[in-house]
Amino acid sequence: MQDAITTLINSSDTQGKYLDNSSLERLQNYFHSGELRAKAAMTISANAATIVTRTTAKSLLYTDITAPGGNMYTCRRYAACVRDMDYFLRYATYAMLAGDPSILDERVLNGLRETYNSLGVPVGATVRAVQAMKEVTTEMLGAEAGKEMSLYFDHICTGLG
Amino acid sequence: MSIITQSIANADREARYLSHGELNALRGFFEAGSQRLRIASILTANAEKIVEKGSEKFWQRCSVTPSNSGNRTFRASCVRDQGWYIRLITYAVVVGDIDPLQESGIKGAKAMYTALEIPLRNVVECMRCLKEAALDLLTVADKAEVGPYFDYLIQGMTP
Repeated sequence: MQDAITTLINSSDTQGKYLDNSSLERLQNYFHSGELRAKAAMTISANAATIVTRTTAKSLLYTDITAPGGNMYTCRRYAACVRDMDYFLRYATYAMLAGDPSILDERVLNGLRETYNSLGVPVGATVRAVQAMKEVTTEMLGAEAGKEMSLYFDHICTGLG
Repeated sequence: MSIITQSIANADREARYLSHGELNALRGFFEAGSQRLRIASILTANAEKIVEKGSEKFWQRCSVTPSNSGNRTFRASCVRDQGWYIRLITYAVVVGDIDPLQESGIKGAKAMYTALEIPLRNVVECMRCLKEAALDLLTVADKAEVGPYFDYLIQGMTP
């Protein structure tokens, strides 16, 4: 797992270079946005259940997917879907704090599409749900922090697609 | 590993969000970020000077050492390695962790210098001289931030 700092250091170290001005500037911006990130993480952590509930209501609940024959039909599958939404939110929050998407690649997306395919989970509906989560989160956090979180929700969608 | 990846890894092991305490620690880290970047810039801008001063001191204190034997290659390698250690120090300062020192600077270093027939005692002395040369350029508060990383190197090289 990497963060905004270790990524830059590792690539400089491989080249045997000092951190150059553009790296230092990026780090400065990252440190300056730290307060925003920490606050956003606090808000999300205090409201995680609400975010997931709203996301489900917005994107999945009233569609065919929860009806008999749909992939969220029977409570067991419904619960598994909600659990995955929980995961997406938590890992996107980690990535937002780190300012780096590598944790999503390593711990969420690695093999996820294949798993979903083998379980018959529709990727399209999942992507729509993650997009809905992005909107719900942005509403709650405000535009600036919402934009930062969006990067990582979009990363999940790209990785699934 | 920074305090950021460390706290995330801890939280993930327990499948939870970061606690208030952990987030407050991150806040402190973010706030001190500018200071760390400033120190790294000073060290980067003065790297050559630090190495030059450090070498002078080193050869005064350890006159009998391969790099002071008149062999140009040995001399150049010694200077180059010192530059590398300053670079690793700047990484450690920026990330606020010994990881870059450990991974790129200490692991295997003793074995390597021993294989090259460079006395570890002299390597340690050289690190001390580098430390003195680097700290000379810094304020008291900045010294307190950087000093421990040099100490870690010195500790790691001590035979």
